[in-house]
Amino acid sequence: MIRKAIGHIISCKDASRLVSRREEATLSAWQRLVLRLHLSVCAACSRFERQVAFLRNAMQKYRQ
Amino acid sequence: MATADFSRDLEPQRGYLLRVARLQLRDEALAEDVVQETLLAALAGSGFSGKSSLRTWLTGILKHKIVDAIRKKQREPTVASAFGDIESEMDIEDFDAMFNERGGWDPKPADWGNPEEALNQRQFLDVMDLCLEKLPPNTARVFMMREVMELETDEICKELTINANNLWVILYRARMALRQCLEQTWFARKD
Repeated sequence: MIRKAIGHIISCKDASRLVSRREEATLSAWQRLVLRLHLSVCAACSRFERQVAFLRNAMQKYRQ
Repeated sequence: MATADFSRDLEPQRGYLLRVARLQLRDEALAEDVVQETLLAALAGSGFSGKSSLRTWLTGILKHKIVDAIRKKQREPTVASAFGDIESEMDIEDFDAMFNERGGWDPKPADWGNPEEALNQRQFLDVMDLCLEKLPPNTARVFMMREVMELETDEICKELTINANNLWVILYRARMALRQCLEQTWFARKD
C-alpha cells in the first residue's frame, strides 16, 4: 500500500521526464526527492534510468 | 609523424565522420564538404598529440565545422527549411502515447540485462545507426550535438535559436525514441 502511494506521488510519465532532464540540468531539491522516492518503488522507471545512462555510454562508444 | 602515414591513418575515419555529419546536417553534399574540411584541417594542423584517440580528436574538429555550417545555413532561410519544422519536434505530448491515461508506462520498458555487452558488437553499432536515422531530423541533430559533439546545452540553444525548455523536450523525445527502437530491434530478440 505504502509503496503504491509513494509510486503515485509523481507518475511514471513525469518521472521519465525528470530522469532525462537530469542529464542536462540540476533538478530542484523537491524534484530530486520525489524522483528518488519514485525510483525506489518503480522497477519500470529504474529500467528507464539505466537505459538512459546506457544511451550515453553507447554514444561515447560510437565516438571512439 | 610523416604526412603520408598520417593521411593513411585518417582515411579509415572518413566513414565515421561522414555518418556523424550526415545525421547532423541531413544534406549529403554539405556533409561531404565538412568532412573534407575536417580531414584537410587535420592534415594541416599539428594539434594531434596522441593523448586522446584519433577519432575523438577528429570529432572535435568536425564539431566546429558543423557549427559553422549550421550558422551559414541559418542565414539562408530557404535552405534552413530543409531541416524541417523544428517546432513540430518540440511537442512533448507526442510521447504521451507511451503512457496510459494515469501516466503509467504502456508498455513497460523491458529488462535489457547487461546491455554494455552489446557495445562490443559491430552489429549493435549498425543498429544504433539505424535508430538514429529514424529520429526526426532536428531531434537527431540535437541529440548528436549533445552526446557525440558534447556541446553544452546553452551552446546548442544559441546555435539553433531555441530555449532551454525546447531543448529538454527534444532530448527527451530522442531518448524515448532511441530506447524504444533499440528495445524493439536489439534487446527484445533475446526473449
